[in-house]
Amino acid sequence: MTSAKCSKCGSDSIIFLHYVRRHLCAEHFRQMFEKRFRSTVREFGMIRKGDRIAVGLSGGKDSTVLLRCLHELSDDLPMELVAITVDEGIKGYRSATLDIAKKETKKLGIEHRVVSFKKDVGKSLDSILSKDGSLACSYCGVLRRGLLNRTARDLGADKLAMGHNLDDAAQTVLMNILRNEPERISRFLNPAIKHPSFIPRIRPLLRTPEKEVALYAMARGIRIEHKECPYARFAFRQNVRRQLNEMEESHPGTKFKVLGSFLAMERMMKSAKAQDTELAACSSCGEPSANQLCRFCEMKERIRK
Amino acid sequence: MELFVDGKRKSLSHRGDISSLLKKLGVRREEVVVKLNGRLAPETAEAGARDKVEVIKVVFGG
Repeated sequence: MTSAKCSKCGSDSIIFLHYVRRHLCAEHFRQMFEKRFRSTVREFGMIRKGDRIAVGLSGGKDSTVLLRCLHELSDDLPMELVAITVDEGIKGYRSATLDIAKKETKKLGIEHRVVSFKKDVGKSLDSILSKDGSLACSYCGVLRRGLLNRTARDLGADKLAMGHNLDDAAQTVLMNILRNEPERISRFLNPAIKHPSFIPRIRPLLRTPEKEVALYAMARGIRIEHKECPYARFAFRQNVRRQLNEMEESHPGTKFKVLGSFLAMERMMKSAKAQDTELAACSSCGEPSANQLCRFCEMKERIRK
Repeated sequence: MELFVDGKRKSLSHRGDISSLLKKLGVRREEVVVKLNGRLAPETAEAGARDKVEVIKVVFGG
């Protein structure tokens, strides 16, 4: 065995960052990771002193690392943290991460609220999809976002922090281009949605590649679950993820460039035209909605039929 | 070489860096973390006949 050395200190390397052609040891990787996390929070003005932040905590690696990093950031930037876990009702998948979420919040002394599709919508995701798994991500995404927003509001949160990383962001940009849905891209990254019921989302891991989130967790001994959602194979995102990871391998830095291009285009569009999205209230539940009936209620009705 | 992919033992003869091992396995570099003799290691590390290599998938859908 021959081991590579950290470009900064000469200790054993744990990662080669292909996009900057640099080796880092565990200590310098951790420093770089946390510095980038904090600078992303600053760059987008994500958190103000005293904010009450609800963290969408699935118990997967991204949200668990997000919670840990926000908790540590709160030593320097005072904020209140609460965590919300949505139990979609996916047999053999969610229970392990739910356990991680419970243990992590207990360890950090953070208030934790668990909500479920079964209790709120009347059915678990498995029951909703008994006939057709191909619609899993559509149902899950809409219902999960709806429950997170409502629960964050009930908990008095100013912001809702999501564990979306660089890979998620780059995939979303590409998916929406491939589907010709440009308005969804701007909603994902920097929604200027104005509605009293809408809790603004923040994504402090936006500039962090997914692999580095996992490596950070492993290097720090943060428990992560190595399991894939059984419905992931149906998702269009799965194809985009694979293609993007192949591009990243042959052209390191691709994901950063996709995100960078989008952010630059967004700035250009904003200077050309105000992008604020005015939302109305859903006629059934009162949640913010672009249509008379929000997608959450639309799905709920469909599920109950 | 002792090789494990997601906890399962695989038999494959390989000499060289981990990057080329991943290619042989058909695994995308961006989706895994590698341990060499129990320690986290970059794909540029070389693995020999007496080494234990663990390939752990960390990027999932869901």
